[in-house]
Amino acid sequence: MIEIHGLSKTFTDRRGDTVTALDDARLDVAENEFLTLLGPSGCGKTTLLKCIAGLVPYDSGTIEIDGRPIQGPGPDRAMVFQNFALLPWASVVDNVAFGLRLRGVARAEREERARELVATMGLAGFEKKLPGELSGGMQQRVGIARALAVQPQVLLMDEPFGAVDEQTRRLLQEELLALWEEQRPTVVFVTHSMEEAVLLGDRVALMSARPGRVAELVPVDLPRPRARGGGPDRSGVYAELTAYLWDRLREMHEEHRTVRTGAPA
Amino acid sequence: MTRLNARLPYQILTFALFAAAWELYARARGGLLLPGFFETLRATGALLAEPELWRALYVSNQALVLGFAIALALGIPLGILLGRFRTLERYADVWLNILLVTPMAAIIPLLVMWTGIGLTSRTALVTVFSIVMVIVNSRAGVRQVDPSLIEMARSFGAREREIFTRVLLPGALPAVMTGVRLGLGRAVTGMVIVELLMISDGVGGLILEYRGLLKAPPLYATIVIILAEALLLISAARWCERRLTHWSRTTATRANLAGSPK
Ligand SMILES: Nc1ncnc2c1ncn2[C@@H]1O[C@H](COP(=O)(O)OP(=O)(O)O)[C@@H](O)[C@H]1O
Ligand SMILES: [Mg+2]
Repeated sequence: MIEIHGLSKTFTDRRGDTVTALDDARLDVAENEFLTLLGPSGCGKTTLLKCIAGLVPYDSGTIEIDGRPIQGPGPDRAMVFQNFALLPWASVVDNVAFGLRLRGVARAEREERARELVATMGLAGFEKKLPGELSGGMQQRVGIARALAVQPQVLLMDEPFGAVDEQTRRLLQEELLALWEEQRPTVVFVTHSMEEAVLLGDRVALMSARPGRVAELVPVDLPRPRARGGGPDRSGVYAELTAYLWDRLREMHEEHRTVRTGAPA
Repeated sequence: MTRLNARLPYQILTFALFAAAWELYARARGGLLLPGFFETLRATGALLAEPELWRALYVSNQALVLGFAIALALGIPLGILLGRFRTLERYADVWLNILLVTPMAAIIPLLVMWTGIGLTSRTALVTVFSIVMVIVNSRAGVRQVDPSLIEMARSFGAREREIFTRVLLPGALPAVMTGVRLGLGRAVTGMVIVELLMISDGVGGLILEYRGLLKAPPLYATIVIILAEALLLISAARWCERRLTHWSRTTATRANLAGSPK
């Protein structure tokens, strides 16, 4: 469904220094797959996601969705942001309906759809509230509802639960799993947490920094549905996988350190 | 609104102290040129019945309304463009700085030489006095809009026009309204100063006339009326500001809790 080949992206910062965020990255995501993207911070996860979203122009390579190269943002994709990115002056309903409004959906229809999603996300009764009056977890529910409202084929999520507390995160993970297991959109989910990557994903794409590319694809052999009963048994496969991912990540961090300090590898 | 009411007793108290000090000082000192507080009040009442005052107010406010309307019509779009497109800054910065730091009274003679001593000149001066506050605050308002909101809008397919109307304008509104309020204060200042310094007309002209005739009570009364108008206008602007930007007070405390990307 999503095919990424030879994707490279170099940023030039204000002082004129260049940073290579992505270097010849490749990745295939299957239809209806829940893919988690895990890697050390600064390895280019956000950049890769924004390239898929059409928000960041890349230097070379191709990104195709169902065989069509992407040209900027499109109605087939919707993004959920780490800092929620809600309009602080707009009510919950208006925020959820924002994407629909940009797509020219008539007022009555978009409000009806937004209200349904607000209820689905457990926010009934908060329709008229402003984002500033909601907790972080509730704000991200609004962010997810806004993305779902436009009925995207692909849901792009950039550390969506990174800014909420541990308990809220667990709840949101279960809710997201339940939603996904029901609707099965294709999801690319960026995280820096091994546990989250394993808990949610069909596969974990492990990214390395310098060069920024997908170093390894790790299949997650856990049964679904995983949402019920507080998630999967956290021993066995789950524990093995998170331990394996941490080993790999630690190797990357150590390589990084030796490179930086100039010590012989 | 509740906060305003809570402050009211203190405001009345300080005002009463001020009035008492004035009255006592005027009585102790005596003399023709220093009317007491109560005499000034009486003179204000009397002046309000004079058609002369209303004509002067009409003349002055013509320049105020026109000049301030021009300042808003030019200043808000200009400030918003400057905030959005940084490259424009290079051209505008030096002019804004000149407007900010020049003692405005100094350019009155120039304006009079260019545009004469009529309404045009007074209007232009009100605009020049007030526009910089409007521009600078509108610009700051656009700058402080969270860039991730623009990115979000783009991800949902917003084009530049929609980014302006749906994200930048509403996001900048609180700061724009602050600029309107501050600009209004400067507009009133400009309105009076030009009449005092160069073009003896309107309420400024009235002040000069009473001074020339050594009529202190109506002179004081004129100043009281100018102050009252300024206070009224500023309160109205503040009221609009609160009505339009109710959300910015719910957000200010929470925005930081929402977490920022690492
Ligand atoms: N707009 C930008 N300008 C300059 N450098 C950037 C920009 N965006 C990202 N980078 C750099 O690219 C690298 C990858 O960033 P990012 O994709 O945000 O990493 P991650 O999300 O994995 O933490 C980092 O070194 C970062 O500093
Ligand atoms: Mg990131």
